[in-house]
Amino acid sequence: MAPDAIAVATVSHAYAQPDAGVVKTLNAVSLGVRKGELLCLIGPSGCGKSTLLNIIGGLVPPAAGEVRVNGHPVHGPTPKEIAYVFQENTLFPWNTILDNIMVGLEFQGVPAAERRERAMDAIEAVGLTDFANNYPHQLSGGMKQRASLARALSLRTDILLMDEPFAALDEQTRTYLGEELSVLLATTNKTIVLVTHSLSEAVFLADRVVVMTARPAEIKATIEVKAAHPREPSFTTSSAFSDLRNELYALLRSEIEKTVGGFVGNAAARDRERRAVAGQRDSVIGRAR
Amino acid sequence: MSDTAVTSPPRGAGEPASAAWVFLRRNPAVARLGVVVLVFVLWELAGHTVLDPNFLSPPSAIIQAMPRVLGDPGVQTALQASFIELVIAFVLAVVAGIVIGLPIGLSSFARRATLPLVLLLYAIPQVTILPLFVLYFGIGAGSKIAFGASHGIFPIILNVIAGVQSVEAAHLTAARSMGATRLQTIHRVVLPHMTPSLFTGLRLAMSGTLLGVLLAELYVSTGGVGYYARIFADSFDPPATFALVAMLALMAVVLNETVRLAERRASFWRAHRH
Amino acid sequence: MKTAKFDWQARAIQAAFVIVVIGLWYYVGRKGLVSPIFLPKLPNVLDKFVGIVQSSTFYGNLGVTLFEFLVAVVIASTCGLTIGYLVGRSRYAVVVFEPLLASVFAVPLVVFLPLFILFFGIGFESKIAFGAAYAFFPIALNTIGGISQVDPRFVTVARSMGASERQLFRRVLLPAALPVIVTGLRIGCTIGFLAILGSEMIAGLRGLGSRIVSLAEGMNTAEMFAYIVFVIILAMILNVTLSQMQRRFGERREVA
Repeated sequence: MAPDAIAVATVSHAYAQPDAGVVKTLNAVSLGVRKGELLCLIGPSGCGKSTLLNIIGGLVPPAAGEVRVNGHPVHGPTPKEIAYVFQENTLFPWNTILDNIMVGLEFQGVPAAERRERAMDAIEAVGLTDFANNYPHQLSGGMKQRASLARALSLRTDILLMDEPFAALDEQTRTYLGEELSVLLATTNKTIVLVTHSLSEAVFLADRVVVMTARPAEIKATIEVKAAHPREPSFTTSSAFSDLRNELYALLRSEIEKTVGGFVGNAAARDRERRAVAGQRDSVIGRAR
Repeated sequence: MSDTAVTSPPRGAGEPASAAWVFLRRNPAVARLGVVVLVFVLWELAGHTVLDPNFLSPPSAIIQAMPRVLGDPGVQTALQASFIELVIAFVLAVVAGIVIGLPIGLSSFARRATLPLVLLLYAIPQVTILPLFVLYFGIGAGSKIAFGASHGIFPIILNVIAGVQSVEAAHLTAARSMGATRLQTIHRVVLPHMTPSLFTGLRLAMSGTLLGVLLAELYVSTGGVGYYARIFADSFDPPATFALVAMLALMAVVLNETVRLAERRASFWRAHRH
Repeated sequence: MKTAKFDWQARAIQAAFVIVVIGLWYYVGRKGLVSPIFLPKLPNVLDKFVGIVQSSTFYGNLGVTLFEFLVAVVIASTCGLTIGYLVGRSRYAVVVFEPLLASVFAVPLVVFLPLFILFFGIGFESKIAFGAAYAFFPIALNTIGGISQVDPRFVTVARSMGASERQLFRRVLLPAALPVIVTGLRIGCTIGFLAILGSEMIAGLRGLGSRIVSLAEGMNTAEMFAYIVFVIILAMILNVTLSQMQRRFGERREVA
């Protein structure tokens, strides 16, 4: 078996907050990402999934532990090997879509003569050819994320890190883009790490789903999704899909409860109380009439 | 460039740094004070070594000159006159600005008809007509007050108009639905609504008035502050010039801060709106 | 300003106001109601206006003022942009220096004019220095604001793609901050011009401001009016030019 494309070895992370002291986000996380697989990171909000992704990408240094990409340790961004798709729209508003992608290639160090062609190829791959000369604000949210994807693809890296790329989109659009992504990625043979909140998205796209615990995050379980790429939309209605989805939710539920704290536990009691008060008020109004 | 506003990663421990440096990083206000002190210390040192005392004197010499300059009854009278002119010009600008701005703001037609004229007049560089003010109002307090008020009036007019326009339609509808008369609406809805905007106008009007009055004061060099500024400069007496300028700057800071403080008090509910 | 239909009533009032002012001016001069020293006759002012545009004195003074203005703007922009950039790049420097600059600028700098005259004399040097000092602050403050408020996400993205420090500046910080910086330059140029006129009037030998003052002192009101009209036109041309520049470079494409 080939060595892992990404090897995360006992990585920990913490940050200091003025009033909360030191907040520990990652607790000795170890993880291997195989070449050519799509790995999903899923976990409760604020558990440190994005931090882990940023550590892999070299944007954030780990407090302890080490990340190796293609066998060598990561210190700082490695744009030749890793491309990013961020959660929010991070296209430069002062550049057209084409210029946005070309400027990324310039950053990566691609010779000027090749940039336009590579950019146009990537734009075509995401179906935005007609919008190449538009500015980001002229595009819909879904189109902007497609353009961001094109920017990442144009860098032609082996590894793609995606930080909740569809989080800001509405349900229909993200489902549709997920389907498109599955088709697109099946042909590229890239190694992909995708952070998501959506259970369906994780099951639909991933080869393996890694479930993380509440902060400080550790790896709780890893679930394999054995279905060939590209996956058809009909996959989502299969029983295998819903079984996996339910299994994931069961694993996540207790972690979410830890994050949200007492609220979940007290919700029922509070609800009862609220209904009692509402009932009293109704009767008062009833009397006044 | 490890510490940049936009690229700095969360700073971990392990940065070798002296205790003083850590303290300054945590307390930028102390560092700020330090910069000011440093400037004065360097100025003082330069004053004793490289600088020509005919042009620039060290802070200590200026402080020593203070009693001499401020003790001069002529200077005292001039500074008092400037202060009184400032206050009168400001009050005039505010009253006239509200009287003109309120009717313009309240009627859509008046606004469309007269606002372009107001903006046209505002666009005139007023320094150029300073000699006209002296021509019409003489070299006494009149021209200075008029020139200061002419600088202060425009921010008031424009902010009163903006304030009246910022009234939310829903509040007007609400008042009308409860049967408020036009006067009641103005009193209870429009005026409270425009208070923050008015105070912004007051702050801008104060800096305008300061500019206008002090320009006119310095322009008329036959009397008042302008006279002493010229005399001190002509007699190569830098400490006295500095002392006079310091007093004027102090006056400006005090008046500015007074208005700013009032603005902060009056605008408290703005923060709760968004 | 796009209104569906031409607001002829409002326009009529505006036109009427201008016509009444000019008419009144003409009438008062014609009837000799006010001494021409206070209010020169309108035709006289027009004559003088034509006269000064053909005189060499005028062009000499215009040249001096424009020269002072250009040098002051170059000095102020160079210092303002450099200092603004250096301070704006470091969050700590912003916290330390920005309030200092802002509070100096809150003092009407005109009070320091006697010091400028003390240091630089009453020639063009003091006008340049004073104009540059006035123009410096809005340029520096806006540059600090523009650079320090660049969305950090843009910087993260650029770094993730391997941008060098130079590329980061040229491709991200500069374009992102440009609208704010251009606004600073516009304000700086406007008040720099006024500061130069003002300092020429208070203590000057040459330049449009000094010329207006010497005409006022000579009670040559008609010619003074003509000069004032010219300076007002000049200021408006400057204003329009700067607004165009701001529209051209400073237009903020909506950041979504």
